Amino acid sequence: MSKRPDLEAFFNPSSIAVVGASPKPGSLGRAILDNLLLRYKGKIYPVNPKYQNELGLKWYHSLSEIPETPELVVIAVRADFVPGILREAGEKGSRAAVIISGGFAESGPKGRELQDEAYRIAREYGIRVVGPNCIGVYNALTGVDTFFLPHDRMRRPPRGPIAIISQSGAFLASIMDWAALEGIGIAKAVNFGNKMDVDEVDMLEYFGWDDDIRVILMYIEGVKPGRGRRFIEVAREVTRRKPVILLKGGKTSRGASAAASHTAALAGDHAVFRGALKQARIIESDEILDLFDMGKALAHLRFPRGKRVGIVTNAGGPGVIMVDNLIRYGLDVPEFSPSLQERLKQMFPPRVAVKNPVDLTGDASNEDYEKALTTVVESGEVDIIVVIALMQPPVLTVDLGDLIADIAWKHHEIPFIVVTMGSDIAKKLEERVEGRGIPVYNFPERAARAVYAIAHCSKCG
Amino acid sequence: MVDVEKIIARALEEGRRKLREDEAYSVLAAYNIPVPEYCLATSLSDLERCAGRVRYPHVLKVVSRDIVHKSDVGGVIVGVRDLEGDIEAYKRIMDNVRRKMPEARIEGVLVQWMVPEGLEVIVGGLRDRFFDTVVMFGLGGIFVEVLRDVSFRVAPLTMDDALEMLDDIKARKVLYGVRGMPPRDREALARIIYGVYRLLEENRNIKEIDLNPVMSYERGAYVADARIIIG
Repeated sequence: MSKRPDLEAFFNPSSIAVVGASPKPGSLGRAILDNLLLRYKGKIYPVNPKYQNELGLKWYHSLSEIPETPELVVIAVRADFVPGILREAGEKGSRAAVIISGGFAESGPKGRELQDEAYRIAREYGIRVVGPNCIGVYNALTGVDTFFLPHDRMRRPPRGPIAIISQSGAFLASIMDWAALEGIGIAKAVNFGNKMDVDEVDMLEYFGWDDDIRVILMYIEGVKPGRGRRFIEVAREVTRRKPVILLKGGKTSRGASAAASHTAALAGDHAVFRGALKQARIIESDEILDLFDMGKALAHLRFPRGKRVGIVTNAGGPGVIMVDNLIRYGLDVPEFSPSLQERLKQMFPPRVAVKNPVDLTGDASNEDYEKALTTVVESGEVDIIVVIALMQPPVLTVDLGDLIADIAWKHHEIPFIVVTMGSDIAKKLEERVEGRGIPVYNFPERAARAVYAIAHCSKCG
Repeated sequence: MVDVEKIIARALEEGRRKLREDEAYSVLAAYNIPVPEYCLATSLSDLERCAGRVRYPHVLKVVSRDIVHKSDVGGVIVGVRDLEGDIEAYKRIMDNVRRKMPEARIEGVLVQWMVPEGLEVIVGGLRDRFFDTVVMFGLGGIFVEVLRDVSFRVAPLTMDDALEMLDDIKARKVLYGVRGMPPRDREALARIIYGVYRLLEENRNIKEIDLNPVMSYERGAYVADARIIIG
């Protein structure tokens, strides 16, 4: 295994120059500057020949005027100026650039030429490039934030163990905003747009060795031609240490080309990529919703020791659906041992089912949940607990949330996932439970995916 | 040891995009992929020599660079039990082909041991723009034709990956034996997949490989038909 790619200058630079910075409210150059000023602790050098002193900063006419070598150069100027700026950055000694600007390969043959020229210059000076046509890099830990999206439009999520790699800027921005809303912690994120240089393979490897990161979420539309082999090698290595969940865009565009063999005719669509992901032990997610759901569980929970799931519910139907879905994802819902069943039987009236799921029925009280959960957790017969608590019957109160959380924290080696369905009171329970760091899902199917995701990596961290 | 490179180079020189069946078999055999014994008879007088080298029953197949679907032109005769049958089959194949495709250049007739019936599976390989070497496994017949129940893996491939492919198809249970059918030799299949992988990895001029069908048994497996695309 080769050493980790050196991309520190992107995520932990001592100084950042912003070429194309602007004091004009509402401009892209202003948004980048504002976001950096808010959290970034290193030196900021705005570059724009029109200004001298704005926003309490000294502005520079060009990169060459800056008194030191900016470790990272963020470029947000018209595409045709970019090659010149890159050369200047190279002469200055900078070795990392984020090119926010669009108007390159994505825009047609002329843009393609411009991108090739920029790439040649970057290679000549040994500059690593994120972009062009991207929103760039984000690091909650150092405050590096090249996203040109203002905080009131895209909230920044709390710090946490997740890294996101996204080919799409819009996807990344919306998932970050959503994560902020859901309180899901994100450490680092990157969008590389046209991936002229740095791509998903580099980023996967970099985050793979990053101790701040426990989970990697990816959205890509494909790897660069010829890059697949390296992708597999890197992913195989990384997934030994931490889970990687990937959503692939563009699964149907490939089409069946004129194929000389049977094999080639069958290789259309997404089939080869899907096989590659399995080989690399990457969890494939088919929907954005899944990516979120799995990410939430992985961010909050420990990895279980095994895949035996114990279910405690007050609702028969959702319990059955839960079992069906868990089995579908290859998890075990073992029937409890006779002695455990006997203990449970003695605790509850005969209407309560005790085999697994434990169905406390609609009459269940907070105390019933407490007894059942404690007994099942302490039996040593399960590795994961799913609590289904429907709040529609009149007996349960939202204090159940704290009660579940107390038991979960006392037995933190066993991950807990909670399912509740419904409106106001369900939301209240959800808030109570999630406030204590236990993930809640509104449907059994979604919770099952989350269980699958954490159990998938029982050998991780 | 057959020189795989030489076989491919010669075919390319002759302007062919596909190896002849006999060439394909020698290439496969060079990578320890089990092929039933065979002999290319280039003339009727050559047939006797060939017939004596291959165990019965025989299947006889026309070998021609111009024929894609051998059966469609009456170029395949199965279940031949003796030399007399070989001669008759040879003549019939020649007649059929000359009638249905008079312009086809005929290199000869392949005399091959007709392997016992087994579970038909398909093993394939190709080059992908993104992943380079790709291998495929599936069960034959409707599983692949209608259900597209196949599994792909890419380079770099290990023997474990090849074994995993066998469990990656929906009809995986068939390989473990269902309805009184025996379980299949999984390792033999994985070895064939791995052999196809190596063949593609080590020979850049091979573009696609179809081994269809491969006969899979309780012990071992045989490639019953092979197509290798070069370029």
